[in-house]
Amino acid sequence: MIRNELSNKKPLNILEKIEESLEKLNDKMEIMIEIQKNSNTNGNNQKASLSLPDASLDVMTLLSMPDHLRKTAMAICRCGRATAEEISEQTKRARAVESAYLNQLVIMGYLKKERKGRKAYFFIDRETQS
Amino acid sequence: MSKIIAVHSYKGGTGKTLLSVNLAATFAKNGKKVCVFDLDFRAPSLFALLKTPNADYWLNDYLNSTCEINKTLLDLSSKIPGNGKFYACLANPATEAIRDMSSKDRKWEMRALGRLLALRETMIKDQKFDYLFFDTSPGLQYSSINAIVAADFVVVATTGDRSDVDGTKRMLQELYNLFEKKTGLVLNKVLDASATAKKTEMQNKIKADYQVPMLGMVPCFCEILRAEGNLIFVQDKPDHPFTKILAEMARKIETDEVN
Repeated sequence: MIRNELSNKKPLNILEKIEESLEKLNDKMEIMIEIQKNSNTNGNNQKASLSLPDASLDVMTLLSMPDHLRKTAMAICRCGRATAEEISEQTKRARAVESAYLNQLVIMGYLKKERKGRKAYFFIDRETQS
Repeated sequence: MSKIIAVHSYKGGTGKTLLSVNLAATFAKNGKKVCVFDLDFRAPSLFALLKTPNADYWLNDYLNSTCEINKTLLDLSSKIPGNGKFYACLANPATEAIRDMSSKDRKWEMRALGRLLALRETMIKDQKFDYLFFDTSPGLQYSSINAIVAADFVVVATTGDRSDVDGTKRMLQELYNLFEKKTGLVLNKVLDASATAKKTEMQNKIKADYQVPMLGMVPCFCEILRAEGNLIFVQDKPDHPFTKILAEMARKIETDEVN
């Protein structure tokens, strides 16, 4: 009986691990796609636009952002800390879209990202940015 | 429903502070718990209008993270008739404080935005405030835009003055629109607004011109000028037309009926 349960759990665990790995891969691919996009549009400025560590997400920055990113940035401003899923509930856009925009904001240095278990949280690091 | 209301304008002298205080006082008179904030750090004026005693802590201190919001709140409920609660959170009028606030960097402004956004949790959710009013400084200033971003609804005060009209139009299109903020226009100091026909005509013109809903129209009252900022009209002159116009504005805000 116990052995049976264990053997049932094992494939489930393996599947969960596979899913987790796939999600991580997905995140990495989204970042790569964003980098690719940036290099296509910015040409020589690519390096400058990608190396903005700890850029501040203040209102003037929000104002100068393209509309699609501003919407995401405003939502994270209100939450402080959220997953792509939570942001997508606010903006009424697809989770995958928000995930891509959030990752782009991370690359630009405006947000930080941290993994807790299977979830990825995005947040504004207001305290250490002094 | 709008809980945090920013009162803003393109130019100075459009009546933001008078509107903020009297709108807040109208809600307090209706039994609500309200707080009015002076976010005009370059030219603080709320302390003078409310004739408050010197505060120990200012809004500046809260935004500087040197104290929590409760230390800055002055309970002025006794100034308003009825069971409502009326609080004020003032900007420090000392020259040194004004100088300090105008030399803040982007990172400080970003943290200040975080502190303003946090008021929704601490004041509205935890302390059950019904409405917060942000009285801002005119034009595109960090403190004003922070207030607009943190607010649910922006009351835009404007006069018919030529120097104000174009700037206000641009601000409506390029600022509030970009932040997707609900806005309501208050046309202040209107001359010849007594005739009903003229009023409707004017309202339609404003709607077509600015492409935003009107919250209200305030005629130019000599009594307001004569009072030299010494009265909270809603409290001191309950039967004055200005008080009635404000009551109508408050009703529109409360019922989400700005169109």
